[in-house]
Amino acid sequence: MASQAADAGARAGWLRGIGAVHEESWTAPDARRRLQLVLAGIWLLDAVLQFQAFMFSKGFSQMLGATAAGNPAVIADPINWSAKIIAGHGTATNAVFAFIQLAIGLGIAWRPTLKLALGASIVWALGVWWFGEGLGGVLSGAGGPVNGAPGAVIIYALLAVLLWPGSRDRAAPFVAGRFTGANVARSLWLVLWGSLAYMALLPATRAPKALGGMVSAMASGQPGWLSGVDNHLGAFLTGHGPAVAVILAIVLALVAVSVYLPRPFARAGVVLAIVTAAFIWLAEGLGGMLTGGGTDPNSGPLLALVAVAFWPLASAVLSATGQPGQIATTQSQSPEGA
Amino acid sequence: MAGPSWLAWVFASVVIVVAGYCLTRLVASWRRHRPSDHRVDAIHVLMGVAMAGMLVPRLRVFWTGGWEVVFAAGAAWFGWLAIREFRGRPTAGGRPGHHLQHVLACGAMLYMFLAAATVAKAAAGGSAMSGMAAGAAHFRTLALVLAFALFGYVVWTADRLSSLAPVAALAARSAPVPVLAGAGTAGGASIVAAGGEGTPGDDGQAPAGQSRQAPLSPRLAACCEIAMGVTMGYMLILML
Repeated sequence: MASQAADAGARAGWLRGIGAVHEESWTAPDARRRLQLVLAGIWLLDAVLQFQAFMFSKGFSQMLGATAAGNPAVIADPINWSAKIIAGHGTATNAVFAFIQLAIGLGIAWRPTLKLALGASIVWALGVWWFGEGLGGVLSGAGGPVNGAPGAVIIYALLAVLLWPGSRDRAAPFVAGRFTGANVARSLWLVLWGSLAYMALLPATRAPKALGGMVSAMASGQPGWLSGVDNHLGAFLTGHGPAVAVILAIVLALVAVSVYLPRPFARAGVVLAIVTAAFIWLAEGLGGMLTGGGTDPNSGPLLALVAVAFWPLASAVLSATGQPGQIATTQSQSPEGA
Repeated sequence: MAGPSWLAWVFASVVIVVAGYCLTRLVASWRRHRPSDHRVDAIHVLMGVAMAGMLVPRLRVFWTGGWEVVFAAGAAWFGWLAIREFRGRPTAGGRPGHHLQHVLACGAMLYMFLAAATVAKAAAGGSAMSGMAAGAAHFRTLALVLAFALFGYVVWTADRLSSLAPVAALAARSAPVPVLAGAGTAGGASIVAAGGEGTPGDDGQAPAGQSRQAPLSPRLAACCEIAMGVTMGYMLILML
């Protein structure tokens, strides 16, 4: 505790010299808090992307309306209804969307509003998953690992649950299990990565040229280096799409079950998950952020963040103290010290 | 800058308010001898004026090329302070991360001015080729990387807001009561004693045991950094 205080004091800038840092209850961020801050940063990025000129145009509502295609009527009709409203009031609705995301990002970053913002992010993410992403193409069969399935925004909600600051933490071998418990967290991991493995085998991904077409389409409007990567990758996948889809499904399935394996294998599974997430993000063209039309960074970075939350910790840190922020993990000394 | 004009005015208003507030901090600090980080307040004034001019062209107040010199000098100055900190020679500004934040902000400003100038020159050329060259020349990827880094600093600053004392507490603490050197060196409260006493700096603080003026609100200073970071991130994203 004393070292934490000294650390915070040493890093308090000009405030150090005038004694302006005082909060007794404030502690340096632990591993979970750092992941929450990364999540907050992604929400901020989302908010600012939502402020782009394209989002205030008809193109945005058309993009939302397009997600209704292939979904059952009970899902598609509300999407079309909301797309019409957004088309009619594009400026106002989009501004509200952007400011909500900005508030969520800043709310997660500011400790007094952490729970409120995380709770709001779950509600918001579920709404956007339906009205903005058409449930990520899960029901339409159009979703695949490299086009954002099961919907990037649902992963925000998942992360909010996994990183929730509970009043009493449970013993867990990874950060993601401190609120829900290790078994529930492992089940969520299995569902997430298992569903990605399943979707990699659906015709939308496994059909000849499907994967290649998806990736090549991401190259349009990108800067030269990313356009080149996606074009080359797309050309390769056009020739070997079905085989790569099967390999991708196997890799994703291995990742899905790795969380139940002994620690060395679980760690290998997390590393594999991060590498796979990086591959997916490249194939997604970084979510189209560099084209001026991306609404979010897409699923790649979020999958990687989920993976980091499941990094198996050392055996010495498995016992919970029951006090949030007080669990001594190998990664929790100070935010800058890691 | 592309984007709805009303939104540009909203963000311009935010940075103008920040710049105005930081200017009042500078004046109050100078006239009432209240501690503050003058360098950061000054750079926020300059950034606020420059950003408002970029967002709303009619608010431009400086000559072409002038801002590039200002922010290049700013980046070099804060970079020098950061290097001094890394070498273990403390400055009144404190930790390296604090200075790096402003190196990054000055760098982002420099990038935006240079990229805007490149695009403007290409547009003046008028050909499709020059437009493509402009797109390639302003390094969209760098804009995204800078925005990522700025948002990182924004959440880092917001996380630490709760650790900063409100002005009321600081004012009470600055009452002319003798202070016991080394008191309270354990626990979170020790930060006050560990850092606050016995280390005179160039920002107006007095030596241990003497009365001193309460510093200008550190929480509002942090809020200024957050507002500047979000607005600058928005401007960088607009350049994609």
